[in-house]
Amino acid sequence: MIKHVDNPVLEVHDLTVSYDRKPVLWDIDLTLPAGKLIGIVGPNGAGKSTLIKSVMGLTPNSSGYVKLFDKDLKQVRDRISYVPQRESVDWDFPASALDVVLMGRYGKLGLFKRPRKADRDIALDSLQKVGMDAYAGRQISQLSGGQQQRVFLARALAQQADLYFMDEPFAGVDAATEKAIIEILREMSAKGNTVIVVHHDLQSVTQYFDWVILLNMRLVGSGPTSEVFTTELLQETYGGKLTLLSDVGDLIRRERFPNREQFDKAQKPK
Amino acid sequence: MEALQIILAGSLVAIACGLLGCFLILRKMAMVGDAISHAVLPGIVLAFLFTGSRDSVTMLIGAGAIGILTTFLIEFFHKKGRLQTDASIGVTFTWLFAVGVILISVFAGKVDLDQDCVLYGEIAYVPLDLWITDSGQIMGPRVLYITGTVLIILIAFISLGYKELFLTTFDPAYASAIGISTAVWHYLLMGAVSLTTVASFESVGAILVVALLIAPPATAYLLTENLKKMLLITSLLGVVISAVGYYLAAWFDGSIAGAMASVAGLLFMLAFLLSPTNGLIAKHRRKKAILKPSGV
Repeated sequence: MIKHVDNPVLEVHDLTVSYDRKPVLWDIDLTLPAGKLIGIVGPNGAGKSTLIKSVMGLTPNSSGYVKLFDKDLKQVRDRISYVPQRESVDWDFPASALDVVLMGRYGKLGLFKRPRKADRDIALDSLQKVGMDAYAGRQISQLSGGQQQRVFLARALAQQADLYFMDEPFAGVDAATEKAIIEILREMSAKGNTVIVVHHDLQSVTQYFDWVILLNMRLVGSGPTSEVFTTELLQETYGGKLTLLSDVGDLIRRERFPNREQFDKAQKPK
Repeated sequence: MEALQIILAGSLVAIACGLLGCFLILRKMAMVGDAISHAVLPGIVLAFLFTGSRDSVTMLIGAGAIGILTTFLIEFFHKKGRLQTDASIGVTFTWLFAVGVILISVFAGKVDLDQDCVLYGEIAYVPLDLWITDSGQIMGPRVLYITGTVLIILIAFISLGYKELFLTTFDPAYASAIGISTAVWHYLLMGAVSLTTVASFESVGAILVVALLIAPPATAYLLTENLKKMLLITSLLGVVISAVGYYLAAWFDGSIAGAMASVAGLLFMLAFLLSPTNGLIAKHRRKKAILKPSGV
């Protein structure tokens, strides 16, 4: 089930990516609507991170093209932001939380220019939005995993972009942080920003995302969560991992409790 | 006067190496600095053969180019040959260094270079090697001009490209995502390392350059949690190392470059033990402080 939209914020056409001639993504063809909170779901090694990296031009594509806001990547770089996986950097780095958030302003500053007061204000404001303003001067290695993830999110916010890519922003964070982050993501999409999140926790998919992309090397599904996040398509995405899948089936039923209630009501008069 | 000139030359070299070393160790590329400092040897000899002098800009550029070639080869073997980075570094620089050693021994008659000088340097000769203009005016030690110029170029490079160097060092993926080329800044930094190494080899030698590239930044890393302060502390350490190293060598009448590198190592040990934040003793005390109140 692959649903296409008009005026997409992101259009991926026949995208194939391979490492050492081994394909990682095969013939991906999708369009995504603006202003949505979008989850990319699939098993390990399905190419979820690779998909967002190749969209942003961080890994070379073997074939196909990507259009963002109906333009080439180079023309719209300043409208796109990225939150890499937290483990991708060395947090034992001589930098404060504010230093890291200020990096979000570098793209707009251009070569040789230093951040000004206006940039610092935006950075501090972003830290406040993620509830980290009290830690602005703290060295980043002294922050907890959840706090580090919030700093990364604040850096993306400081960029004031329209389209955000996030690589597993919920990995290794506590429940409170996860809740705080999803609140912020919802606010962002309510403001018309598009947020695309690589996600591996199937349990929260229906709660979090408006739109879901199911991926396992090739594209299994892309569309509104209620239409795409179904047992059949999940089975297709995850292959033969049956024990897991029966759990997922349970989950879907449980999470659609309101629906079932309606279903029950409809049945009762009989 | 001579002492001052030697200490000044040593400080200039130590500061230049230290500033670059800060970025090298944060990029986990300390050994690439080691590799470049050795691999420029054939460049130095070849440039010497072609130009016949040691003070030409041609030599700096020629040897600098070999330095960049070294980093390119390291990347190439790592990416295309799927060789581990450390193995790739090991193969590349030993091979280029060996070529340099052969060149020196073959052209020993024609080249005013000897292996000892290239490897260990001789900073004591700094005051003797004067820059004399065509009109016969004595301008002072030549090495001071070369290392001084290199240091000015480096400071300009680091202050103009500070935010790019900072970002590409900390988070290269994010840097590329917002359109800052990691490759460009990688090669600019490596070019700067090559230039500095070539400019420093006469005073401290190809091997001891490594000590000045790594030891002061590593010491500063233990003392601060702010990159700008780390650069500043590294520079101060450079001056201390040079001055203490000189008087230490004068006292036991030994190699000045050797004494400087030893002082650098000694300062690192001190920071390792005594740093208020990361030091072994501070950590031990904190551990005790945590254990005591809970122990009934």
